[in-house]
Order: sequence, then C-alpha cells, then structure tokens
Amino acid sequence: MNAYTLATDRNGLFDITPQVLAALQESGITEGLLLVSIPHTTAAVTVVSHWDPLGLEDIDDEIRRLVPTRVDFKHQADTPQDAAGHVKAAIVGHSRTFCVNKGELVLGSSQKIFFWEFDGPRHRTFHTQVIGK
Amino acid sequence: MSQALTAFLRHIRSLPGLLPQLSETIELRARQVLSTPDIYRIRQIILTGSGDSRIAAESAAPALHAWTGLPVQAMGAMDAARYLTMGMKKNSERLRGSLVVCVSHSGEAARVVEAAQRTRAAGAQTLALTANPDSRVGRAAANVLALSVQDAGAVPGTSSYCASLLGLYLLGLRIAEVRLCISMDTANALRGALTQLQAPMAHAIEVCEEPLAARAQAWAHCPVADILGSGPGAGAAAYSAAKLIEAVGIHAVSQDIEEFFHLNYFVADPMEVPTMVFAGARSAGSSRARELCGILQDLGRPFLLLTDDAAFGPPEHSLVLPVVPEWLSPLLAVIPATLLAALWADRSGADYFRGHSGRWRASQSGALVRGGGLDTASEEDDE
Repeated sequence: MNAYTLATDRNGLFDITPQVLAALQESGITEGLLLVSIPHTTAAVTVVSHWDPLGLEDIDDEIRRLVPTRVDFKHQADTPQDAAGHVKAAIVGHSRTFCVNKGELVLGSSQKIFFWEFDGPRHRTFHTQVIGK
Repeated sequence: MSQALTAFLRHIRSLPGLLPQLSETIELRARQVLSTPDIYRIRQIILTGSGDSRIAAESAAPALHAWTGLPVQAMGAMDAARYLTMGMKKNSERLRGSLVVCVSHSGEAARVVEAAQRTRAAGAQTLALTANPDSRVGRAAANVLALSVQDAGAVPGTSSYCASLLGLYLLGLRIAEVRLCISMDTANALRGALTQLQAPMAHAIEVCEEPLAARAQAWAHCPVADILGSGPGAGAAAYSAAKLIEAVGIHAVSQDIEEFFHLNYFVADPMEVPTMVFAGARSAGSSRARELCGILQDLGRPFLLLTDDAAFGPPEHSLVLPVVPEWLSPLLAVIPATLLAALWADRSGADYFRGHSGRWRASQSGALVRGGGLDTASEEDDE
C-alpha cells in the first residue's frame, strides 16, 4: 500500500491521477485491481471529466446545493462545514476501485481520479493498494 | 527564604505542568458551551471582568479579534455593568448580537454579577467564565464555561489568571473555527501551541529567577514602578503591575508603550522609578519599544526589557525569554511577572495584600469586591 499526503487549499476537486498511475507502475502488477482509498470522513474520491475546469466547479457547486452548509446540523462538535462535509462524504464515498489491464489503469479518455475536499483547507492523506499478478 | 516566598515560588513552578491538563479540560467545555446557531448570532464580543479577570480580557482581546474578525472589546466590569447599557430603554434589546463574556474566577465579584444581569436583560448572549458555575455570576449568565482550577491559597492570583486566559483563548478559537474564519487544522494548531507553551514556561522560570532576584534586591527600596507593553504586551504589563501591587504594595502603574512617551516620560525622579518593558523583537510594537529603550537610558531609569531576542535591546537591560507567538506572550509573561513580585516582596519584607489587616482589614475574604449592593435598576423607561 502507498500513502500520499495532500494539502488542500480550498474545497473542491484535486487531481490525484498522476500519483495513482505512479503507484500502479511501481507495483509491477499488470492484471488486477487498484484501490484508491482515503481515511477521512469529510472528503471523498470520485472520477470526473477533466477537460473543462469549469465542469469541476459545476460538480462542487452542485453538491454544495444538495448539501448546503448550514448552522442547524445536529452534529455541532466541530464546524458547520465539517457537519456538511460528513454528509457529502457519505454520499460520494471514501474509495474507488479500478481495473488494471496490460499494466495500464482502465480509464476512459475523459476520466481522471479526483480527491474531493469538503472541509478545506486541510492536510490530507490518500492510499493506493494494487492486487493482482 | 520566607514561607510566603516558598509558597509563591512553588505555585509559580507548578504552572507549566498545569497548562496541558487545564487546556484539555477547558477545550472540551469550550466546544460545547455555545451552539452553532448561537455562535453565528454573534456580531461583537465584549470581554469583561475586574482585577486579574479584566486583565485577562485585555490580554486575550487582540487574539480573539484576529481569529474571529469580529469587533472584540475588553472592558472593566463597572463599564459593562453601569455604562454599556446607559441610556438604553428597558427591553430595547440593544445588545442583541453581542456576546458578553463575564470573567470571574470566584464568580462572586459584584460588578461582574451586575454586568451579566444587565447585559443579559438588554438582549446580549451572556457567558460566565468561572471556576464556580454555581456562583452568582454563573447563575446570572445564560451559559457557563467552567475553568476547574484550584484556588492557590494566600498568594496573588496566578493559576486562576492562566485559566481565565486559556478559557478566553479557547473560546475565541472555537468561535473562529465554527464561523469558518480559520480552518480546523489552523484551530487545532493554535490549540497545540497553547499546550506546547509548557516547555517555554519552564524554560522562562530557569532563565528569570536569578536576574529577577538581582533586580528585586536593587529595586526593593522603590515605592513606585512603571510596567510597559503594547497589544497583548499591554495585558502582560497590566498583570505584572497588578502582582507588584498585590504582593509588594508599591504603586505600580501599567502603561502602553506609545502612551509612555506622552505621559509617564515626565515622571520626576526617573532614577527612582524602576521600569519593566514587555516587547518581543518581532512584535507589532517592536520599533517603538526599541526607541523606548533609548529614551529610558537617557532618563537614567533603572529598567528591564523582557524580550525574546538578545540582539533586540541593550544587553545589560535585557532578559531574554523563549520565543512564542505574540498572542501567547501574556501567558508566558506570567512567569517573570509573578517571579519579580514574589522576590521583590521578599526583599522588601512585604506581606501579600498587606495581610488583609490594619488599614486593609476591609479586604478580608474578598469582602471589598464581593460585597456592596448590586445595582439592578432597570434602564430608561421614558422616551
């Protein structure tokens, strides 16, 4: 398993595809599965088209619309943004699994892997695990 | 060494060890004392108290303003009780949106009780910061942040002041964090800086005792002292002056560094006015503090610069403390302030608080500050 750190400077999407591809290359696995996982409850992992940066903003705007930061969450031990972040992270999920074929990660031409920050800025971590032969 | 000095020194030396435990306990309570909607209702923060509690308010106010971005005002309990609501109509709710933090270690200071009662009646959110939640201040305020610190006994207030400062800092961090003025990472780093102050405080005790004993010996005959500082350093200066008054009985006056040039500069017999200056080399007021040192030398004042860089001031007048962020300097300053007071009182043979006897007997059991009538009269009823 590889661990990577990430200092997010805002809420939104951060492209972690280069680190994931490097992890696969380092593993030497040519056929199998690659898991990207994060040990946080106010951030998530997702796959998004990377062609238009404004499209990334649309996605973040939309989840903010779905789960607005508000002051009346029952969870008040931390901040309203943290409370909203828990909900967003639960919806999106903390991991994604990808196929590995002929030593390549099976991603479409538009697909990139993004770390999605819901409670930034924070110091974050994500992990990769590759299994196969 | 007198029994009084032994007891005071023991208490001072216990402070670094007290800090992490106090900080952890208060932080948990600060996290729960105000709901998120309450925190978002705040439009200004007023910190009030009397004596050490007022000084804690003054010391913490700059940090709370920096973190929350809100207007933060420190004021004496008399102002908060009698003048803040002056001219307001009854039930006008003119203080709606204000958070009034009423600091009182005992919770029984009469003017602080009044401040809580009257500002609450005027619509303010009120929060008592006290070691005694069942006290009058605790009952008068809508919320209580309990400080859980033991009374130190017959020595001038030290751990109680540290606890009040910690409570104010941790409350400010909580408000700033929930209002998203600072990130959770930043808030936690600042909380960490508070608990990590244990080591600098212990180091400060080591470096201060000997030079301050020498100053106490040299200044023991002086009946007055000026203690100077700006920003958070003004709080440090006020606390140091307070300890000299309580422990030694001299007329110690705290003053802002800039104001010194306008006022205290003109005090006669400068060679008989020991002067302490609290100024970090990288503090916002450092350039003025450097100019001050030159002026003090010209005047011939005996003085000591409490700083954090040996190259900052004249070496023969400097006592170098560990480097800490400026907003933490009032907590670190507790060490030299109390050590000087303890040692000076020992050298001059002074009884703390004049023994609460003779001409000072009216102060027994805190009667002067706890007693006295409460003015709970309603405000202006007429147009």
